Amino acid sequence: MTSRLQTIAVAIAAMLAAGAASAQENAVKFGVVEYTTHAETSGITGVGVPPGADATVGNATTVVFTYERLLTPNIGAEIALGIPPTIKANAAGTVAFLGSDVLSAKVVAPAFFLNYHFGAIGDTWRPYLGIGFNYTRFMSIESTLAPSVQMSDSWGWAAQGGISYAINDKWSLFGSIAALQVKSNLVASGATVLQTSINFRPITYTIGAAYSF
Amino acid sequence: MNKSKSWGLSLVVALLVAACGGSDPYVPGSGSPSGAPTTKGSFTAVVSFGDSLSDLGTYTPATVIPGTNPPVYMGGKFTTNSATSTIWVENLTTSLGLVITPAAMGFAGQSVACPIAAQVPSLANTCTGYGQGGSRVTDPNGIGHSTGALTVPVVTQIANHLARFVSFKSTDLIFVLAGNNDVFVQFATFAATAAQVQADAAAGKLTADQANTALFNAQTVALAGMKQAAQELGGYVINQILAKGGKYVTVMMLPDFALTPFGQSLPASAQPVATALSQNFNLWLRDTLTNQPVQLIDTLVFFDSIAADPSHYGITNMTTPACDAAKISVITGGAVTDGSSLFCNSTPGVPYNGLATGASATTWFWADGVHPTTIGHKIFSDAVISQLKSFGWI
Repeated sequence: MTSRLQTIAVAIAAMLAAGAASAQENAVKFGVVEYTTHAETSGITGVGVPPGADATVGNATTVVFTYERLLTPNIGAEIALGIPPTIKANAAGTVAFLGSDVLSAKVVAPAFFLNYHFGAIGDTWRPYLGIGFNYTRFMSIESTLAPSVQMSDSWGWAAQGGISYAINDKWSLFGSIAALQVKSNLVASGATVLQTSINFRPITYTIGAAYSF
Repeated sequence: MNKSKSWGLSLVVALLVAACGGSDPYVPGSGSPSGAPTTKGSFTAVVSFGDSLSDLGTYTPATVIPGTNPPVYMGGKFTTNSATSTIWVENLTTSLGLVITPAAMGFAGQSVACPIAAQVPSLANTCTGYGQGGSRVTDPNGIGHSTGALTVPVVTQIANHLARFVSFKSTDLIFVLAGNNDVFVQFATFAATAAQVQADAAAGKLTADQANTALFNAQTVALAGMKQAAQELGGYVINQILAKGGKYVTVMMLPDFALTPFGQSLPASAQPVATALSQNFNLWLRDTLTNQPVQLIDTLVFFDSIAADPSHYGITNMTTPACDAAKISVITGGAVTDGSSLFCNSTPGVPYNGLATGASATTWFWADGVHPTTIGHKIFSDAVISQLKSFGWI
């Protein structure tokens, strides 16, 4: 954990130190993100759990902040961090009768991208593609089915595509779609022990504004 | 381009770090005991705590045949009783060249501690068989208590041993086999709730989802009861046996109660609950005893393997109780109607023989709904002996 955070810290420091600052090498962005999941689980297993027990995972909306540094006129390194949204899960399959919101968790999910921006600085429209990785930590986990729930942290790839529209040489608008790899093993401990592993398969849709300097 | 190259490197490094993945949460019950002895014991006593499966004849006085003098007892152990019928604890003790007798005998408020001491004073230290039919882990109000069974709970059985012998010895071979009666009590509570829920659902007072949720909640309550019993039993093993000198300690996990004739007689929808209660007890018992210096014997695996291939063990009937409830009812003058093997005698030719026509104490596995016959006990003690050998203890 610590070593990974250190890796990120070193990356950010390197990013800030890279090259002398000149016009429009830095951009801060903020926007609204819809975090949609397309989760698949291994099914819920445990003592007394009927075969075919499952859960579905819902979507969430939050605010995202990103910082991007252009390393070349076309290549930028971007780190994105959202205000942790709460995602909720509903019982499904043979235990669907247990209803909705059987589990909720705050998702802390920073992502790092290396983006390629098409066109040139000064273009009004600039599409971009990025690849990178994301780290997801589940916090404030609560369940109506068990007093203690733990979920493993997730590291996985991340990929995004977006487009920016320059209003002037400082301000622009952007929209992007990202796919992330987020998997977690869940252990719920109460009267008995329930287990599942969840592949969230999130797709995020973001729109927002950017300020370059 | 140099910059992007170094960034590419950083990304690769970060992804490599990422590939390690997040650490998985601890799963209760996934550990094992550790640190039990690995050397042969110089055993001078077998000390057994538990319930009817380990009962050496606590309730024998209740099985006296009316009008006999000197008294003749038709039963006393929860098996196919006869002059030569022994249960697993006795088989195992005999194989070690030792003797074990009941720690108490009595019924309906009467109880004599260490009855062998009055008859054979030289055997006064052999009354270390504490198991009693109906006993629970902690609750003194065991099964049959209201109708006279002593049902001294395991926590008190251990306390009684410590009161008499002060501590355990490193030469004691100690067995703990308990929790089955907690399963039965929790199951009975669940079944009563389930019957009410189903009646309400049938009457239209509950929707299907509400009924299913109520059943799930009732099951959760029963599972929590089993968790509590398992954690309490594990705690007694740690604090009252290991901490008081116990060295060679074997703790049994429960068999699957759904596989017994009684379990099989339950509605198909209830059998998974029966299985879950036993499994949940085992899960939390294992969890409580993780890294403790005991040996666990998984009787669930043992009974499953017999059920899967009875003929391998010389068993021709694995499903029907050998004792005949109607015969026992006649023999006891209508006092015992549930076919309890406590009153079941298998001696050929005697008028109080309670075996069903064609049944056998040597080829049928079950004596009644939940207790093994004489051969069932022999197969079990053989398995335990083999386990003790694999531990290196004998």
